[in-house]
Amino acid sequence: MNPMNEVTTRVLPLISYMDRPEGWGRSQGREVYQRLLGFVEDHAGTVVFRVSMKDVKRVDISFASETIIELARRFRRTKGFCLVDLTDPDMIENIDAAGEKKEQPMLVWQGKNATLIGLQPSEGTREAFQFAMSRPQTRAAEFAAQRNLSIANASMKFKQLWEQGFLLRRESAADTGGVEFVYCPVG
Amino acid sequence: MLCTVSFPANWINASRFEAALRDSCGPHNNNTTEVVFAFPVGCKIMVDGAIRLLSLANQLAYTTRRVRLNFEEGESGTMGYLNRMGFFDHLSTDVEVLPSRPFYSGARLHRGGNSMLVEIARINKDERDEELPTRLSDAIAYACSSRLDVEELKGATWTIFAELIDNIFSHSATQLDGYAALQVYSGGNRLSVAVSDSGLGIMQTLRPSLRTEFPKLAQLSDTDLLVEVFRQGLSRHGADRGCGLKGCAAKAIKFDASLDVRLPNQRVWLKPARGAYEPNRAYCYEGLPLLWGTHIAFAFALGA
Repeated sequence: MNPMNEVTTRVLPLISYMDRPEGWGRSQGREVYQRLLGFVEDHAGTVVFRVSMKDVKRVDISFASETIIELARRFRRTKGFCLVDLTDPDMIENIDAAGEKKEQPMLVWQGKNATLIGLQPSEGTREAFQFAMSRPQTRAAEFAAQRNLSIANASMKFKQLWEQGFLLRRESAADTGGVEFVYCPVG
Repeated sequence: MLCTVSFPANWINASRFEAALRDSCGPHNNNTTEVVFAFPVGCKIMVDGAIRLLSLANQLAYTTRRVRLNFEEGESGTMGYLNRMGFFDHLSTDVEVLPSRPFYSGARLHRGGNSMLVEIARINKDERDEELPTRLSDAIAYACSSRLDVEELKGATWTIFAELIDNIFSHSATQLDGYAALQVYSGGNRLSVAVSDSGLGIMQTLRPSLRTEFPKLAQLSDTDLLVEVFRQGLSRHGADRGCGLKGCAAKAIKFDASLDVRLPNQRVWLKPARGAYEPNRAYCYEGLPLLWGTHIAFAFALGA
């Protein structure tokens, strides 16, 4: 079962929304952004968009900032965006620079492995992020138990990671009868 | 009043271009009505100097001054070389050329056909050429095709051209054209990449926003601020913008490229040290003769 329950994942082929295989500049980026936004709004039930970079030859930092990164930032906390079909080091570097400037993290998936580019987690949340990345879903209590932390402390770390766009979360019924959050990687 | 800018009988890069300008009485000065650029026998102008000259000559013609380029050696000298770059394709028709304008465009004739590659391209806001960064970086890759790192070089120069050209569209606010240029020489081991515009300088657009966007930087001198533009990435539009110039610098530094930035009255020349551009490795020149716009040149010493 999908770890996010009703979470649906959809591939968003970036090339279909670009005028040419090379994307550069803010104004071109803003045009493409509007088309991407239309796609996202047309698929309101989709929570994770795997942005495919297939057939995209190049993107500069400004274009990446106005498109992929801006989209991820806009929908932070509600939807997740990650990259697939991307191996070109130059493009990775440019998207990384754009993400860092806008303080937006972004996962680049290659098979089952993900590399984090853009914003990096703080020292205080890094371990929690790595813990969540190694499993399909995570409860703060599980991390707290393994690291001998208070649940409140662990919860705070995951909340911060969710707010900053590192992880997605959904509500779940806790064994105690209350509500707890389940966190999962964007992908 | 006549203002003469005399170039030496030597290679003219951006530094020598600036030296000649400093020795003149200031082509943009209010009392200057006529400007002569004199090229003696043996003078050879390189592309970073050539696009500053092109921008300046067009600025002066735009302000209704009489402008003359006097090539002592005629078309067999630097004039022929400038022609091959496409210089005269972009020079205002109001500028006089002595002994006479080349009859044909050397750039159109030679394009893609010579191993010592050099080219100037026009940047016009109203006719945005979406293929320009690709065309220029492809040309570099072609000229440097024997290098093992050619793909990395192509990617880096594509990003540099894309970001700098887009910067002109976003910031320069002028009717005058901007230019992008490249030159590969020394058998593919040296590369010059330059972009010039005749609009507002970076400082004129950035300074007014500092108090609200980056109050800690408001006290910095123009030179220190310029270094920070390339180190941190600063933009008048706020903290989440300005990554373009920073990104260009990061790409260029990987190739140990030096960076030369000319603003209306200042020039900063940055040499990379420990993988970064730092203020203590900046050579600064203030109070220079007016040259509108922002002129950025990266010089890559690629090595064998």
